[in-house]
Amino acid sequence: MSTNRRAALRFLILLSPALLGADAGTDFFEARIRPVLAERCYGCHSSKLREPKADLRLDGPAPTVITPGKPDESKLLKAISYTDFRLRMPPTGKLPDSVIADFTEWVKMGAPDPRTAVTVEARALPPGLDLDRGRRFWAFQPVVATPPPAVKNKLWSKTDSDRFLLAALEAKGLKPAPEADKRSWLRRVTFDLTGLPPTPAEMDAFLAAGNYEAVVDRLLASPHYGERWARHWLDLVRYAETNGHEYDNNKLDAWQYRDYVIRAFNEDLPFNRFVQEHLAGDLLEDQRTSKDGRFLESPIATNFYWFGEVLNSATDSVKSKADNVDNQVDVIAKSFLGLTVACARCHDHKFDPIPTRDYYGLAGIMHSTGMREVVIDSPAQARAIHRAHEAAPATTRNPGRAKIQLRPGETLWEDFTDLTTNAWHQSGEAFATGPRDGVIDSAGRGVNELVGSLTSKKFKMPNHYVHVRLNATKGNGSLVEREPIRLTLVADDYKSIHYMGSGKTPGKFEWISYRMTLPFERQCYFELVDRSRTGAIAVDAIVFSEEKDPPPTIEETPAEWAEPAPQPQLPASTFGMVAWDEAPGNTKLHIRGSHQNLGEEVPRHFLQVISKDGTHPAITGSGRLELANWMTGEAAPLLARVYVNRLWEHHFGDGLVRTADNFGVMGERATNRELLDTLSAKFIAGGWSTKALQREMVLSAAYRMSSKDDPVAAKADPRNDLLHHYPVRRLEAEPIRDAILSVSGSLDKTLYGPSIVPHISEYQNGRGKPKSGPLDGAGRRSIYIEVRRNFLTPLFLAFDYPLPISTIGVRNRSTVPSQALMLMNNEFVLQQAGRWADSLSGTPEPDRIPLMYRQAFGRPPQPAELQEANTFLKDGGTLAGLAHVLFNSPEFIYVQ
Amino acid sequence: MSSRRSFLTRAANGFGGLALMQMLAEAATKNGTHHPAKAKAVIFLFMDGGPSQMDTFDPKPRLRLDHGKKLPFKPPTTVFNISDQVFGSPFDFKQYGQSGATVSELFPHVATCVDDIAIIRSMVADHSEHTAANYFIHSGSGFQGRPSMGSWINYGLGSESDNLPGFIVLESGLIPPGGLDCFSSGFLPASYQGTVFRKGEHPIADLTPPASEAAAQQKKLALLGKLNKGAVARFGEVSEIDATIQNYELAFRMQSAVPELLDFSKESEATKELYGLNDKMTEEFGRECLLARRLVEKGVRFVELLTPARPGLDRWDQHSGLANGHRINAQSTDKPIAALLKDLKQRGMLDQTLVVWGGEFGRTPCAQLPDNGNMTNVGRDHNPFGFTMWMAGGGTKPGIVHGATDDFGYFAVENKVHVHDLHATMLHLLGMDHKRLTYRYSGRDMRLTDVAGNVVTELLA
Repeated sequence: MSTNRRAALRFLILLSPALLGADAGTDFFEARIRPVLAERCYGCHSSKLREPKADLRLDGPAPTVITPGKPDESKLLKAISYTDFRLRMPPTGKLPDSVIADFTEWVKMGAPDPRTAVTVEARALPPGLDLDRGRRFWAFQPVVATPPPAVKNKLWSKTDSDRFLLAALEAKGLKPAPEADKRSWLRRVTFDLTGLPPTPAEMDAFLAAGNYEAVVDRLLASPHYGERWARHWLDLVRYAETNGHEYDNNKLDAWQYRDYVIRAFNEDLPFNRFVQEHLAGDLLEDQRTSKDGRFLESPIATNFYWFGEVLNSATDSVKSKADNVDNQVDVIAKSFLGLTVACARCHDHKFDPIPTRDYYGLAGIMHSTGMREVVIDSPAQARAIHRAHEAAPATTRNPGRAKIQLRPGETLWEDFTDLTTNAWHQSGEAFATGPRDGVIDSAGRGVNELVGSLTSKKFKMPNHYVHVRLNATKGNGSLVEREPIRLTLVADDYKSIHYMGSGKTPGKFEWISYRMTLPFERQCYFELVDRSRTGAIAVDAIVFSEEKDPPPTIEETPAEWAEPAPQPQLPASTFGMVAWDEAPGNTKLHIRGSHQNLGEEVPRHFLQVISKDGTHPAITGSGRLELANWMTGEAAPLLARVYVNRLWEHHFGDGLVRTADNFGVMGERATNRELLDTLSAKFIAGGWSTKALQREMVLSAAYRMSSKDDPVAAKADPRNDLLHHYPVRRLEAEPIRDAILSVSGSLDKTLYGPSIVPHISEYQNGRGKPKSGPLDGAGRRSIYIEVRRNFLTPLFLAFDYPLPISTIGVRNRSTVPSQALMLMNNEFVLQQAGRWADSLSGTPEPDRIPLMYRQAFGRPPQPAELQEANTFLKDGGTLAGLAHVLFNSPEFIYVQ
Repeated sequence: MSSRRSFLTRAANGFGGLALMQMLAEAATKNGTHHPAKAKAVIFLFMDGGPSQMDTFDPKPRLRLDHGKKLPFKPPTTVFNISDQVFGSPFDFKQYGQSGATVSELFPHVATCVDDIAIIRSMVADHSEHTAANYFIHSGSGFQGRPSMGSWINYGLGSESDNLPGFIVLESGLIPPGGLDCFSSGFLPASYQGTVFRKGEHPIADLTPPASEAAAQQKKLALLGKLNKGAVARFGEVSEIDATIQNYELAFRMQSAVPELLDFSKESEATKELYGLNDKMTEEFGRECLLARRLVEKGVRFVELLTPARPGLDRWDQHSGLANGHRINAQSTDKPIAALLKDLKQRGMLDQTLVVWGGEFGRTPCAQLPDNGNMTNVGRDHNPFGFTMWMAGGGTKPGIVHGATDDFGYFAVENKVHVHDLHATMLHLLGMDHKRLTYRYSGRDMRLTDVAGNVVTELLA
């Protein structure tokens, strides 16, 4: 050892008595510790690595995992001791006991370490992630309307958009394709706006009048417009009506959201308001009421947070929650902003100016958001219900008295003397007056028709058994989520255990007991629900216990349970799954995305690159309301661009930005940025009206172009980026099925309501398999077929129906043999061909084939086609067979 | 304009729902591989439910010594989380073959093949729940919607069959938790999706028309062909229309290929006997195993076999009644698996066919006790922290035992092989570098192995 070092050490000793004996310590380190670190640890934990595992560098002092002098507090020792199954290092095998003893000894010595600290850049932002530079990226720039450019051809354009497109074509010496014939245009615009084919009568009317504007106005006013465009939106929010995972349980009231979206499109709800309602519909001051005045619209939108996959038995509930939040952040960022923010879960975004902190700023908002099953009646409806039952004759229900003899270690968690102990939140009228005589009763006011819910505070389940003393209408024993009357234990956001009347002791209280196998030590709450206009539930006590059997109970006076007289005049209520602010707080940064390796707490905030000064906003509650304001305020330019691009995509086959869900650096650039920005600026200035923008798009000259490609233009513009012709487009799965129903005369045009259970073939197997619905889906449009995650309809899947996993703004467009097999052999298609043929029985024979062509393709048959079809029939072919052949024609599933 | 063939290839790659369209699938890797491949095809014997390692291929005498006692450490949270009482294996173990690997009495036939097998006793997975674990073992992610390994492999290598899908799943009445999404192509084009073959005469939905319509089909197709000429004139030279029309020809080819495949009449009696087709107990899985060999012969890249349904049993998932349940599951699969290995070997196919056996996780060393605490007829809970899988053929090192669990068989402690490592190793044997087999989705170059995985060189021959 050099004298220099001795001198230095002496100096240190003066300052730090803990380092006494550092010489020996250093020797010990060099002999026993460093070689082991080098051999067994540096491979993953070294500053030489670009991304050391767990962000840990052991080639220098590591204060985060070593607390000098305190072996018990040193995570490194815990890891190498293999005592915690989650943290066992090195992962390839335990170190010899003697080595572990050395490390322990070394830490006790004060972890002497001659190495200099590894300098890791303290970085709020990674190298290359410069917010100011990031803001200069086109997508984060303000939208600016440009005056339409000058064009040579003064006659072609019908809208400003046309002039942008034409100027770009002319710059390349190209011309737009000629105008499409009227039949093609009507078929195109009718499928585009309503998802249905034009009827022969509609075709005749248009051919006679030739009024394009009138057609567009008629279609935009059609209630079927909303059904078509809601489905595009549902692709973005991974809409599903079941949880997936093992049992594919139902998501309650998901269909209410689907109807909300249909209504929003039909009513042309300003898009910025639509977005605000999604993010914070429960918190907005001005709640929007449904057209019939019965219920609140705004909160229904918040159901979209919860359409993700839900585990029914998560063993690691913290991870499971983090995964759900990740899916929420992903969907919000992609759907609204076209950004892949979820990439920043584990590391700063590699391409976009999105640091990990921004991810956890948003994640904190989601972690502060829960979901409740509540009555969403409008104030007026609630008043009407209140008045109606107040006026009704009261029946008394006497719950009686019972003495519960608690055993040692048992807790009477809830005795229902009041609703404050467990902070029950109530909605609806059934529980509105609170408990009486220590019992909460949904028919306590003598009215069975009243509905409502009570939701307790959250708590960590402390015991292995929960006994509930209740007196309730017998449960159906059907799919539990559909049970209308129940006390549900929700564990880790999963409706886990349902306490219901057994039906064994009608009118009397009974104990129902469950073992908390899965909920034990999970975050839980109780939810007392009565959704039924008949039957009721009364709960006397909730006991937490380690005993399998309920506590002994002495009934002092029995319940006197009169069934209340029916009051059918009582107005109905509406239920919804609604977001609420739940224990708002910040989240800690998860280093490398791991919930077991937490970093600093991150204040709830949004994307800094879209925040003017980069400071964090003042947040009250979860932060959803502030998020909604930011999204439609500071982020409005990007929000509008992304949405306008989606509308363009659905009208013209591709977006102006083809990567519709990725406006980041790795996404494509706009093929015509001035056009996109001008449309977006106009959209914002015009009050975010979807219909106004679409009207302009479909009345443009561009939209009226023929789909016939010109060889010269095809060579100059092979991807059709300049839109030199209108693309031939295959219909999506739903319009194909809807067109089949429409043409065959089987379409039931009923709007809205609970979903139709899908038809399940014998080839679809697995857990959670539902009882099959009707083959023809009761004739309802495809949007009303229940989206059962694990049992999606094969016909839909063959035609690129999206899996409900995350935002899918661009569906795949395939041409695969299974489509041919499906249209040739599928039972539904054959059934519909038969029905179509049957529907023509009243049509004179010579008119049948021409009518079929007009129904299916919007045109009469060519003489040759008529002749072939007639020959087919003469040779023993059936009309149903001919119908089947027409379904299989490419012309049926493609739009020109 | 590009050639019709290359256009069709692109179009067929263009996604969809059900599979049956890999025949035109193009290889994502140049010349199909990154380095010379050992294996050309994979047969995955998926033991749905999670067979217990300490009752099959990982003997733990300590469990019998401690039977009924408490575990000396606090076990991790399990799905049912109800016991820490040690449960000694009800089965006896013996050493077999030149390699001397120890196998339980459950697999007397497979035991005769140990010299061809690499047993991995140190498997580790990430999930304790069936569904997430099933997605994980199949796709390297615990969530719904990622491409299954059969899809990745076909995406990477393309198919060698011109009338059969490249990823086929054989079932005999049981679909694993998580459903058909275990075989999903996820974000990859649906041409790589797994096609499930049910047992029986009509293995695939919508492959053939209902009997009542069969006679009319030829006539309809003839009319369609005539009318399509008009459609082509109407649409002009549009590649999608062309492909749509071509699809009917391909579909028709498939209709004739499948019955031929299912026709075992040309197999010898000895072969049928070997696979156990004449015994009710082994008939179902025997059929799957024989069919797997026939599929690989036809150039199918990835064949997955699912556990057959057994009355009163829930797959290998014996939370109770393990002694009986595991015995029945073993009896119905042991002989057919051994037959498959021997048959492949004798036909010279084993060298190029990678056979992989295992479940989504293993089981705990403790009994999952009923409320009455009675140790009779108990079972075991799920355990992803240490379990056994094995590989044979396709360039794996034969006759070895790799890795080890602790004395109780709870945790893998030596030479851990994570599921990502297994996937990396499988791809390696097929000639692909798991880090370079990527697909751009959601702004990222996605991989079967996510951001992890190491090739386990000790498993390579």
